[in-house]
Amino acid sequence: MTDQMPLTEDDHDHAMFDAELSGAVLNLHLLGRVVRWLKPYRSGLVVSAILILVASCSAVIMEVVISRVLVDYIIVGETDSPMPDLGMIELTQWLEAQLGVEAIYAAGLIFLVLMLVVAVTGHLHRLLLVGAIVNALRDLRQDLFAHMETRPSSFYDKVPVGRIMTRVTNDVEALYEMLRGMGSLIGEFVPFFVALTIMLSTSVELTLILLLLVPVVGLATYFFRGATREVFRLVRNSVSSLNQNLQENLSGMQVVQLSQREQRNFEEYTDINKSNRRYEYRSINLATVYGAFTDSLSAIGLGIIIWYGAGEVIQQEMSLGGVILFTRFMNMLFTPVVLLGEQLNVLFRAMASGERIFQALDWDEQIHEPANPKQLPDRLQGKVEFRHVNFAYSPETPILKDVSVTIAGGEKLAIVGATGSGKSTMIRLLGRFYDFDRGMIFLDDVDLNDLHSHDLRSRIGVVLQDFHIFSGTILDNIALGNPGISRERSIEAAKTVNAHGFISRLPLGYDTPLVERGSNLSQGQRQLLAFARVLAADPEILVLDEATASIDTETELLIQDGLRKLMTGRTSILIAHRLQTVQEADRVMVLHHGVVAEIGTHEELLASKGLYYTLHELQFQDVSGEESPFPD
Amino acid sequence: MKSLLRLLPFLTQYRNQILAGFVAFFASRFFEISSYFLVSMGIDEIAATYSGPLAEDLVPIVSPSGYSILEISLAIIVCVSLRFVFVVFARRAIRRAGIGVSYDLRQRLYAAVQLQGTDFFSRIGVGDIMTRAIQDIALVQRLIAFGMIFFVIMTYAPLFAVSAMLYKSPTLTLLIIPLLPVIFIYAYRTTKQLAETSRAVQERLSDLSAHTQENLSGIRTVQAQAQEENEIKRFWKTNDQYAQAFYDQARINSLMMAWMPLFASFSQLTIILYGGYQVMNGQMTVGDLVFFFACLNMLLQPIRMAGMFVTIVQRAAVATNRLFEIFDSEPEIEDKPSLKTPAIIRGEFELKQLSYTYPRSNEPVLRDINLHIRAGESIAIVGRVGSGKSTLLKQFTRLLDIGEGQLLLDGHDIRDYPLSQLRSQIAQILQDPFLFGEPLRSNISYDDPERALEVIWDSAEAAALRSTIEGFPARMETMVGERGVMLSGGQKQRTTLARGLIRNAQVLILDDCFSSVDTETEEHILTRLKTMRKNKTTIIVSHRVSTLRHADRIIVLDEGRIAEIGTHQELLRKQGLYADLERVQTEGGSFTDRAAGEI
Repeated sequence: MTDQMPLTEDDHDHAMFDAELSGAVLNLHLLGRVVRWLKPYRSGLVVSAILILVASCSAVIMEVVISRVLVDYIIVGETDSPMPDLGMIELTQWLEAQLGVEAIYAAGLIFLVLMLVVAVTGHLHRLLLVGAIVNALRDLRQDLFAHMETRPSSFYDKVPVGRIMTRVTNDVEALYEMLRGMGSLIGEFVPFFVALTIMLSTSVELTLILLLLVPVVGLATYFFRGATREVFRLVRNSVSSLNQNLQENLSGMQVVQLSQREQRNFEEYTDINKSNRRYEYRSINLATVYGAFTDSLSAIGLGIIIWYGAGEVIQQEMSLGGVILFTRFMNMLFTPVVLLGEQLNVLFRAMASGERIFQALDWDEQIHEPANPKQLPDRLQGKVEFRHVNFAYSPETPILKDVSVTIAGGEKLAIVGATGSGKSTMIRLLGRFYDFDRGMIFLDDVDLNDLHSHDLRSRIGVVLQDFHIFSGTILDNIALGNPGISRERSIEAAKTVNAHGFISRLPLGYDTPLVERGSNLSQGQRQLLAFARVLAADPEILVLDEATASIDTETELLIQDGLRKLMTGRTSILIAHRLQTVQEADRVMVLHHGVVAEIGTHEELLASKGLYYTLHELQFQDVSGEESPFPD
Repeated sequence: MKSLLRLLPFLTQYRNQILAGFVAFFASRFFEISSYFLVSMGIDEIAATYSGPLAEDLVPIVSPSGYSILEISLAIIVCVSLRFVFVVFARRAIRRAGIGVSYDLRQRLYAAVQLQGTDFFSRIGVGDIMTRAIQDIALVQRLIAFGMIFFVIMTYAPLFAVSAMLYKSPTLTLLIIPLLPVIFIYAYRTTKQLAETSRAVQERLSDLSAHTQENLSGIRTVQAQAQEENEIKRFWKTNDQYAQAFYDQARINSLMMAWMPLFASFSQLTIILYGGYQVMNGQMTVGDLVFFFACLNMLLQPIRMAGMFVTIVQRAAVATNRLFEIFDSEPEIEDKPSLKTPAIIRGEFELKQLSYTYPRSNEPVLRDINLHIRAGESIAIVGRVGSGKSTLLKQFTRLLDIGEGQLLLDGHDIRDYPLSQLRSQIAQILQDPFLFGEPLRSNISYDDPERALEVIWDSAEAAALRSTIEGFPARMETMVGERGVMLSGGQKQRTTLARGLIRNAQVLILDDCFSSVDTETEEHILTRLKTMRKNKTTIIVSHRVSTLRHADRIIVLDEGRIAEIGTHQELLRKQGLYADLERVQTEGGSFTDRAAGEI
């Protein structure tokens, strides 16, 4: 049996798609992979980096203008202090001479220019940075989507759509947070180093004393994170048990009320609510202390500067402006350290997200395509042959057992059978949604495995029960972006299958936009639209999985008529649920537990009083309007 | 906004705490401005000792304040420490109040929903209630915890900063103040703009999620129609729109990040130019200049938050409305016992002209039902989906209140019984086999967790569940998972059956509890039930003739009316709906088992 297994099965453990990944905290390899998507936008990133440098330098110089130029040069009259002024005093003197204004106005002018430079370059830096990141991640998401879009059915059978969703949305978001966070860290650290350079050249000792506070902040942040991690976990857990408890009770409220459990459940909820409150209290105790601590740090620095600076000034080691400069730089020193501590969490979360994204991108499961696909002729005869088909999704449960049937070109075959008899699997194999062995299914005597799945699928028009309406207009949904299908041809197709009536009654006719899944259309209308879509594409082979939902009699008659027209001159394979459909087929095949139990015309099978006979009595909905006594 | 006033009663028990918080905030701001004041004093001290390049000769140093640098530095540290203590106390007090209020709101919400019935839950779905319980309560908590803190900061900071500045230099202060309303208006408008763009981002994001979800759910169709390429192109549009929206938001955010410091710089420029002059003229000191810079910071900080504050208040107002919609809902089922009803229910029901129409619907579900169920009788009900079976059953335990007509239980109006008596002496098993995420033992003995284990095993036995449970490694302690996901459909149904049987009530109502149980097991259970339920009223809904035939009488419901009533034999002879059903189900044989189960 194993040689009939889909080839993809052995290669992939789908539980892995869900699993907690390596959990490595710092995965530099991952960052390296993200770079690939950033590359096209590198010029923006380079310019952005230059701009942040300009902005930070200007911001630092603004402080120099206040302390060194205004205080030292203008107010105190000190010009030859050994302390750096970055040429600002000279610039002021030059401007004084050139413009013939007082020094204070010259300094004001410099300050004005600098503040405009900071604002403009800062803004442009952020725009370029965010632009590059947003675009890069958009491309990454696009690639991810394209990759997922082409994974085979076997993949989607195993992995829930929700898991993939999170990767396309949340995980890419987390990467954004990380890249943006890294960007803003750079935006904080560049001024940090620029300020540090100036401070060091002003007073090495005072700078070193202040720098001693940095590890204090770092340690405080570290310990705070450590302490809060546990508390936050408790808060999170208690919140989720609160929600879970409430959700469960809401869903089972009638059982609760019938069991007279209201009081007891309320007490249980109160307990959880209380412990949640307790943990919340604990977490804010930590959070407020930490918050106030980081707020106060720069103020403590101020005390140190005044005390130490005074001594330096008396010994003429520092100027008055130098002391003021230090007080102004305090914030530039501590903000990035605090921010770094906060960014680490984001970084770790993003690592996990990145890992999930790349795992999805690396998932190489696919349908095997022939190395040298055969080309089908322009027009097929339409003969389909199933030759001793054996198939199973998993080794323990074979679905199709030695199914053989040949459908002549233009013939209509109805397949009937209970749920799980293998009807849908036959259709799926015909569309090559799963890999199967050579020599089992033939189209015009060509082995399906010799055809490229795309080529094959364009020859087979499939109408599934749960069919998919793409957002876009009605017309888009008929033509499906095929440039070969003109508006006229689409309308013609709609007319033929009786869809024109309801379409022309819509406010915008063929240009009415549809939402995904076509929820603004009724079940019957969607069916008619699906017919029009197939007819417009004009495939040689029609595969229909008839919808089971009950539809009003009038629409039902339109559908039956539309289907009749659709089947004309086409090989049709129908999974039938309606009596009418079966009666119109040339032959009926009864599948029972994956075996062809009966095959023949409707009348023949009825006469033989076998499985088909009982099925006929029970399962088919008569569309003539009479309802069976107790329909589902 | 008015709705926020309704929160006041929730605040009263925390009022001392909140008041203390306000006072502490006041103190913290006082110490903050004092520390700036001291810094400026320190700088003036330094300036005085500073000889400068021109002062070659030794001038006797006169301290302007009369305090030494060391004293001033220590005073700064003291002020900073005191500020630290008061800030911690104040924030803690107010945030605790926020936590407390959200605790109370949750309690209130839980108590309120427990009194509600079907109509309420169809009006406000479970998902919606959850959103209110999670998000709306969080919004109110934010209002109290952060909104109040913002409010306090926004009041105190300008108060202290402006008065201190006025004290130092009224003219310079007046030169700075006109910029404040400009900043305020800018901050407010930008915040609104940001809220709009962030809504746009949210919308684009949910478009993106919906697009991905829809597309991947229909992946088979997409591939069957060979539409992958088109779909990837189409996704590009959604994807790009999201990126665009995101970029727009970042742009506005960045603009704000550029403007805010620019405003501050304008004020700084004013201080440089005017203040610089004053210092040179000897009307201000260098320390005053530094003090002004510090006050400016204190003044501008809260104004930036103004927009955020407005948003918090607005959102909390909407949230409060949504919460009170739940709190204000009257209990659907009135519990007003007449106190004249017997203490023990015998189980005789009399339905007179009973009709029921769901709220907000025109079509009655039950029409003029007349039925007399004798105490100890077993009744089976059959009918297609929507014929009113479940609605009828829910009247017996008042999960739905009586519409028109009368329902007498042992001769008394059913509404005269206390709800607790009704629901403890009538055991009803609902159609949906709902299980709680608890061990099997607690699920079976849900109404009374203290029951002896033996009793629980007995009822499991009666529901043909004993061997199944014995097969689980943890036996009765097996966790069934959320909504019982660990169990099969049939196992879930049998567990709910055991949950009903364990109460050994005088009246037992089973709403289609065997649909996932195979016929053989069902037969076994029903046979046991017959002896267990002797002389006790049993009402059972089923689609299977094999189940129905066991009952004393069978009722066929059709479009809310009793279409046929009688024993199995009587109805077969009648050649009506029941006879049709019987024929279809028996002729089908084993091949149609599944189909028959669905009818």
